[in-house]
Parts: sequence; C-alpha cells; structure tokens
Amino acid sequence: MAFLTLEGVSKEFGTFTAVRDVSLTIDKGEFVSLLGPSGCGKTTTLQMIAGLVEPTEGRISLDGRDITREKPNRRGLGVVFQSYALFPHMTVAQNVAFGLEMRRVPQAERDERVRDALMLVQLSAFAGRYPRQLSGGQRQRVAIARALVIAPPVLLLDEPLSNLDAKLREEMQFELRRIQRKVGTTTIMVTHDQAEALSISDRVVVMEGGRMTQVDAPYRLYEQPSNAFISSFVGKTNLLAGTWRRNGTSSAADIGGVLLEASAPEIAAGTPVTLSIRPEKILVRDAGAGRLEGRVASRFFLGSQWLFTVETPIGTMTVSTPNLGVEPATEGSQVGLDWSPDNMRIIAGTAAAA
Amino acid sequence: MQKNGTIALTFHVLVLAFVLAPLVIICLVAFTPENTLSLPTTGLSLRWFKAVFAHPDFMASFWNSIWLAALSATLAVAFAVPAGLAISRYSFPGRDFLNALFLSPLIIPHLVLGVAFLRLFALLGATGSFAWLVATHIIIVTPYVLRLVLAALSGLDRSAEQAARTLGAGEWTAFRRVTAPMILPGITGGWLLAFINSFDELTMSIFVTSPATVTLPVRMYMYATESIDPMMAAVSALMIAITAAAMLVLDRAFGLDRILVGQR
Repeated sequence: MAFLTLEGVSKEFGTFTAVRDVSLTIDKGEFVSLLGPSGCGKTTTLQMIAGLVEPTEGRISLDGRDITREKPNRRGLGVVFQSYALFPHMTVAQNVAFGLEMRRVPQAERDERVRDALMLVQLSAFAGRYPRQLSGGQRQRVAIARALVIAPPVLLLDEPLSNLDAKLREEMQFELRRIQRKVGTTTIMVTHDQAEALSISDRVVVMEGGRMTQVDAPYRLYEQPSNAFISSFVGKTNLLAGTWRRNGTSSAADIGGVLLEASAPEIAAGTPVTLSIRPEKILVRDAGAGRLEGRVASRFFLGSQWLFTVETPIGTMTVSTPNLGVEPATEGSQVGLDWSPDNMRIIAGTAAAA
Repeated sequence: MQKNGTIALTFHVLVLAFVLAPLVIICLVAFTPENTLSLPTTGLSLRWFKAVFAHPDFMASFWNSIWLAALSATLAVAFAVPAGLAISRYSFPGRDFLNALFLSPLIIPHLVLGVAFLRLFALLGATGSFAWLVATHIIIVTPYVLRLVLAALSGLDRSAEQAARTLGAGEWTAFRRVTAPMILPGITGGWLLAFINSFDELTMSIFVTSPATVTLPVRMYMYATESIDPMMAAVSALMIAITAAAMLVLDRAFGLDRILVGQR
C-alpha cells in the first residue's frame, strides 16, 4: 500500500531545474535510497519531502494526506542532516528531548522515551554530554535518536554516513539497517555512495540531472542497469562501444573489428550499442583459452580479491577474481579472458563516458 | 610552538608599550596625593577617587552615561539582530543599500553627525531630551552590533534551525531555542562593543547633550577645558576599569577571540 507518494514533483531555482517530474511511491516500512552524483537533485527531493523546500510543481502525500504545502513542523517527519545539525548548546538528552518538548509530552514520559531512544542507538552513557564532546559516529547516532524519538511516520536521512571514516561508515550502515528493522520506520536515504545504497536499501532510486532514471531492487539495479551511466555509476564495469551485427540467427557486437557474441533480439543490425560487463563476471584463463586475448598490464592485491587491468585488442579491461589462495597470472603475462554471454549487458546507444 | 625573531619581538614589545603606557601612567597618576597631575612619588592616595564620588555633577554624568550606553546598546541589538537576519538570509531589492546604510555611521565623522543632529533637533524643537540622545547613540553603535551579528550568522550552520523546524518548532520557537543561542556570542560581543562605544563617545555628544543630559566624556571635556587636576586621572582610571571589567567578563563567558575575530 502506498504510504508516501510523490506525483510529478519538480523544483526550479530561477531558471535552473533541480528536480524534474519525479514520481515515486513508497510503501510502509520500506527503506529506499535516492542515489546519484552531486547535483542530481536527490537532496532537493528529500528537502521537499521534509518541507524545507517547496516544490514548484507536483504533489506529495503521506498516508493519503496532501502535505505538499504543509510547514515542516506540522509534518512530523524525522530528518537526519548531513552535518547532523545537533544543537551545540544542549546536551545529548536535551537534543533528543527537543521534539518531545515541542509536542508537549509530559516530563515523565519524555524522560522515558529519551532513555529508550538513547538505548536504541547505544548511547545511554552519554546523555549528559554536549555534542562537541562526542565523536563523529556518536553525533550521528544522537541525530538518529533525535529524529526517531518523535516516532515519525517517515525517517529522512541526508547523506548520513558521508562524514564518517571508511571503517565506521561500514559499521554504521549495518547499524542503521538494524535500527530501521527494529523500529520499522519507512526510511528514505540520500546518498552518492552506491555501495551504501546497495547494501542497506530495499529499493534504490537512481537520479541523474534532476530526473529519476531507474527504480529497482539493489540486485536488479546492479545486474540490469537501464543505461550506461547507471552501469558505470553502480559498481565497476567495462563499457565497450560498438555496432550491432546480425548474421541469420546469431548476433554479435562489433567492437573495433572484434566480434563479441551476444544475444539481444530486439536490436536492429547496424545500431550503435554499448556493452557492459562487470569485472567480476570475467574469468582469467590461459592464453588462447578465452574469448579475448590480452596481456596483464597491472595487478593489485586487495585481500579478498585480485584486481587486474588487462590490455586487449578492444581496449583496457578491468577484471577482478576472488583470492583462491594461489597466486594468479603475473604482470606482463598473456592471458585469455572469458565470460558467459548472459553476463554481458547490451545497452542501445553509445555511452557518453565510461 | 613557533618563536618570534628578535626584530618581531622588539616590534611587538614596542607596540604593546605604546598602547599600554599611557593607560598605565594615567592609572598611576590617579593615585597621587598631590594637587597636580604627577606620578605618585611620596605615597598612594585615594583622595581623587573620593573627590570623584563626592562630585555631584560627575556622578550624575557617570550614571547618565551608563544608562545611555546600556539602553542604546540594548536597543541597537534589538534593531540589528532582525536586520542582520534579513540581510544575511534573504535577497530582496535594496539589500545592499540597507547593509551600506546601517554601516555608514562608521565612516561618517562624528563631528559631522553631531552638527547635523543639532540642526535637525533645532528644527524639530527636540533639543535636550534624553530620548533623542539615546536615538543618536543607537545610530552610531548599531554598525558594531550588525557587523558582529552578520559575522555570527554567516558562520552558522542553518541545518540546526531546520532540524528544530522538522522536530515541531515554529519559526519563532526555532529562532529562540536554537538560532539565538548559537549566535549569542556575536550578539553579546556586539552589545559590549556598542556599550563601550556609546560610553566613550565624545565628539558627537558634545553637540547633542543638554545641561541635563551631559555624559561622562562630555563632562570630562568641559572640566578639562577649565582646570586640569588629578581628578581627571581618577575618572579616566575608573573608565578604564569599567571597560576592562566588561572585557574580562565577556572573555570568561564566551572568549574574546571568538567574538572579536569571529572564530568558532
């Protein structure tokens, strides 16, 4: 059942259109990420849902109620800002209690709910501290507690993990998901980090230049990107530009004279196409044993896997293989690259940039 | 820690000495037991301080100046905070003009302002009242408050206020509970600078005070044109002490570098 609905929402700042005709339906309890590079309109979209920016066009409704023009303090949504936006002159407990105070919740109940919220984010021992006395990860959890304590119908997260270092970010991803599962709040998260979006969302909305270009479950988004931009933005990929060829029942892509077998019945012969193949879908074999010959230009050991760049007649390919406990092909050696044609994604048209 | 070179050190010492020496000397002179402006050599005495407190005109002027400074600084804050919010947050026609207008008293000589107000008040038939004196002081101290408020607002993360709004606070509550406390160092610093500037102001006040509203600097000026005795030094020492005490309180409460340099 649709809980939060955006219908044809647009936002113009003067002559610049930040968000163009976004329509989205989010179910109760869902965790949805808005993913895109900076300037794609994802934060503006979130701010329109929060009520901090008024849409130029379109309609936003929450649980059947039109909230398009409603003031942010009447919407009752929980918002976690990128900078956390904690109140520096209030203690952790006072920060968390603020929303309850605004709702005139009686003191005894307020204290109890603040205590529960701090327990949820594992910060009970820090109630009396000021934000400046906390680490980045702790501040972030205070911001989450402050947003959740008012029991909002929807939790909005604006790049919640971007100010944390890599290790903490990974921990907080799972922490965030744990909290969201436990509380069951419908959550929308804005992020530019595809790994973050893929790992914790039920659905990912990809935005480019103010438009929504794909809405899908993380796995499908990764395996079936709808355009070349998404295939390179979501995960790593090798993009190969070429022309589509047909010969009776078989079809192939002609990449600079090299024919790569692939099946895509709906594409007419002679159409320019872009092939996308993920590094981990490519197998490294002995020279002569693959579909494509190449020479290992460089090799990086990443612990759980090896990352190769292989020079081939159709350009440099990135290949990653799991670390199986034996040393793989060395730099400079000749190898054959192989893959299953099913793992090759064919996108009509040429990619602007890889 | 970086160390200063000999030349830099000498320079710093000279600057400090040049700034502080007159203040130190006037404070020492204030304790002289003699009848002339001289450094106390035979002993220390409080007689000139007693003379100040026993002088009804000086005491009246002193309280007059305190009230004037406190009132005009407070009203300037009440005026400059909304003005600063409007200037820093909204773009509207005439915004740059307003900003320049509010800051212009800084560059107009006080002598010119004094003559102008004198003429204006004569035309209005409003000479001599304390209220008009306060009005003129508000005009000259507002730029100090506005500058500090603008500096505080420009360094402010607006998302804290937005967070308050999303948590259910109306615009006024969000300002009162979140924005105002966050720019409080700027407001307090502005108030203090305004207070000191009003308390010290002489040039313009000479023209706009009446016998009933003579401020302390004007009183000192009038007194000094007739006679110079150590009582002047005692008054000066008192003024220095009041200013220093205000600075000290402010530094303890908020940190002077944060207020005057705008570091957060």
